[in-house]
Amino acid sequence: MTVKLIDKNSIALAGTCPSEDAEELFQYLLENRLAVVDWSQCEQAHTAVIQVLLASGCELKGTPAGSFLHGHIEAALRRARGQIRPFAAGLEVRNSRSRQD
Amino acid sequence: MNEFIEQFLLEARELIEQATSDLLALEHQADDPEKIDGVFRAFHTLKGAAGIVDFEPMGRALHAVESILAGFRSRTNVISPTIINECLACLDQVTRWLDDMEASGEVPSGAGAAADAIVRRISGTAELDAPASPGRDWLARLRDQNPGQFSEARTALRYVPNPDAFFRSEDPLAMIEELPGLISIDLALSDPAQPFDTINPFTCAMEIFVLTNVDTETVIRIVGGASNQIELHALDTKPRADSATTLSSLGRSILEAQVLLLREPRQNGRAGRMAAAGSVSINVLRQAGLEAAAASVADALNDGNAISLIASIERALREKPGGVLSEIVDTSRPSSAAATRVLRVDTTRIDTLVNLTGELTVVKNALGHLATRAQAGLDAKGVAANLRDLQTQLDRLVGEVQRAVLRIRVLPMRQMFQRFPRPVREISASVGKLINFTVEGDDTEADKAIVESLFEPLLHVLRNAIDHGIEDAEERQATGKPSTATIVLRAFRQLDNVIVEIEDDGRGVDVARVREVAAARGLVAADTLARMTDAEIVDLIFVSGFSTAREVTDLSGRGVGMDAVRTVVERLGGRVSIDSRPNVGSVVRLTLPFTVMMTRLMTIESAGQVFGLPLDMVIETAIIPRDRIVSIGGAAAFAWRDKTVPLISLATSLGLGSRVSDAGQARVVITSAGGQLAAIEVERLGERMDVMLKPREGLLGGVKGVTGTTLLGDGRVLIVLDVQELFN
Repeated sequence: MTVKLIDKNSIALAGTCPSEDAEELFQYLLENRLAVVDWSQCEQAHTAVIQVLLASGCELKGTPAGSFLHGHIEAALRRARGQIRPFAAGLEVRNSRSRQD
Repeated sequence: MNEFIEQFLLEARELIEQATSDLLALEHQADDPEKIDGVFRAFHTLKGAAGIVDFEPMGRALHAVESILAGFRSRTNVISPTIINECLACLDQVTRWLDDMEASGEVPSGAGAAADAIVRRISGTAELDAPASPGRDWLARLRDQNPGQFSEARTALRYVPNPDAFFRSEDPLAMIEELPGLISIDLALSDPAQPFDTINPFTCAMEIFVLTNVDTETVIRIVGGASNQIELHALDTKPRADSATTLSSLGRSILEAQVLLLREPRQNGRAGRMAAAGSVSINVLRQAGLEAAAASVADALNDGNAISLIASIERALREKPGGVLSEIVDTSRPSSAAATRVLRVDTTRIDTLVNLTGELTVVKNALGHLATRAQAGLDAKGVAANLRDLQTQLDRLVGEVQRAVLRIRVLPMRQMFQRFPRPVREISASVGKLINFTVEGDDTEADKAIVESLFEPLLHVLRNAIDHGIEDAEERQATGKPSTATIVLRAFRQLDNVIVEIEDDGRGVDVARVREVAAARGLVAADTLARMTDAEIVDLIFVSGFSTAREVTDLSGRGVGMDAVRTVVERLGGRVSIDSRPNVGSVVRLTLPFTVMMTRLMTIESAGQVFGLPLDMVIETAIIPRDRIVSIGGAAAFAWRDKTVPLISLATSLGLGSRVSDAGQARVVITSAGGQLAAIEVERLGERMDVMLKPREGLLGGVKGVTGTTLLGDGRVLIVLDVQELFN
């Protein structure tokens, strides 16, 4: 598998992630909203996977192995995180509520 | 030229003029809803007109401006100077397009890039007010997000993949990866507000923004299949190169705020305000990489001069130092050339002509009937009486036709006056002087030729007034004048003349300095100079090659300005004079004939030939006893009403022989030439007449002392003299 749930705090992407990984990653992130995604072993990822990373605003760990991911997508996701503040805030609120529960 | 395009050009120019005057009015009163509406309507109508002639880029550019204006209209927000500048810049571009269309008769083909530049700049200015949403103003945001990289980019691309792209097993980013010369990629969700748990990971709901350093053609080749989901923008590398060191919209609004702060009229705390505003501006400019601009602001701050500080900040805001002047030239040149072709006439004036034509036909028919009767040889007396009657009617009708035709050529000064506020604003900004420019009597009418040819000379006079006449704000305060100077442009009718005046409340002409320069340049002999009155000295500024400016600036001071003014005005049959009072101000007065086509003449006879003299040059005719004429060297003069008037004999000066009249008296015509009295001795004084003067051309073209010619009733050619040239 190219997407793996390591524990509730971390998810790993590795190798070439096809579009099907998007659904899986989405489910993992929904269930583990504070999880950090380690993509240091990831060489390529389908747009659908990148879209989930973008929408979740999750924290990314490491530098991706693939040059395109490293050279362009990493910076794009970082810049985008700064932009989608309303959503990120909503996520925080939900997270804190779930922790209180 | 296509009829649509012709009509389009005509209307578009009018709309541009209206929009420009409303925009400038907004600058003084930013919350005037009527003006905002006016500007909005003008842009909206222009956009519609562009659509009719299928001029898509112009429509796109105007649409961008219009949508910003719509925001101001609905929100009653105060419109900022930056927005006004951008709107004016957009109008300038539209004017250039119109000129191209006028020249080629077709919609310009390469207008896309210029339109994109406008859209980019406009969206850049609107960004602060507009809610950020993907897809809107994306180019401007891309530029702000990638300040360093934007300069290298040649193509910007916005890619909105189909929502079902993933189902079709498309991988949009993989396609982007194929692009050569990638500079940067930005990603955005189509709906950033959508909660994460409701998104569908199988639906593509994102937008991709890309900068690359390859040209659009290469990009199109690679993304060919998806081109309908891609918006491409070719970026001009040259201007982009500056944009790395131009101000972001945030920087601009910070600088604008500093200017507003500095313009506050309160005296107390001024030094503190200057220090604060200065250092903020310097920081903003440094941060934007505009070291030169920062340095000039720093200099102005060190000098402690608020006006020059404002000027230096405004210069930085304009981005292109020195570019403003060339723009003025650009905008003024083509429209004056273009305006000559079309004349809009009130339909009632045309109706008058139609009616007169009808009456003329009646007279013509009556004449035919009379001719038949005369041919039959019947009732010679009756025919003669009828003929006299018809001649009277014809005389009246021809006079009316003449007047009606001239009325068609009459235009209100407004058409020319309304073009001034803009250059005045730009000139005053470039020299850092505050000026309140007002226009009076712009509904005064004058002949089309006059209205159209006065723009350039008046602009010269205005430049001179702003550059030399108006003092610096400090100097004004020192002499107790308000720091904002006033310049009035006014027109009014005075008998058969139209007077145009430019009045300023500046320092007036520096008489001593004019004397000095005139002596240094040898314009006038030293002893003559010593005898000249102050008013005569001031008049020397109209002499060719004269300039008192201590330094030659871009604006004026090359000594051609006032000289050129006199030339143009005199060509139109007018006169120019200046009335200057030290430290009070000066008034430049242009006295022009109401119409250039009709001239009132008086005829004079000399050496058996008849000549015409323009009646407005003639002051008086007199008979002078010969014993009162004194010879001075080779010339002659006489005293007339306590003034010495030089006298020339027309026959001698035209080389027609100098027959000394044996009569004890001389018939003289006293004229005013270039503001001075001069008399011409003639043999006989003739009659007065109204004529249509033909300008001198052909053989007479090079003859000095001749204004033009006309035909006399008996078929002889009447040569009309130019009094001024006779005396030179």
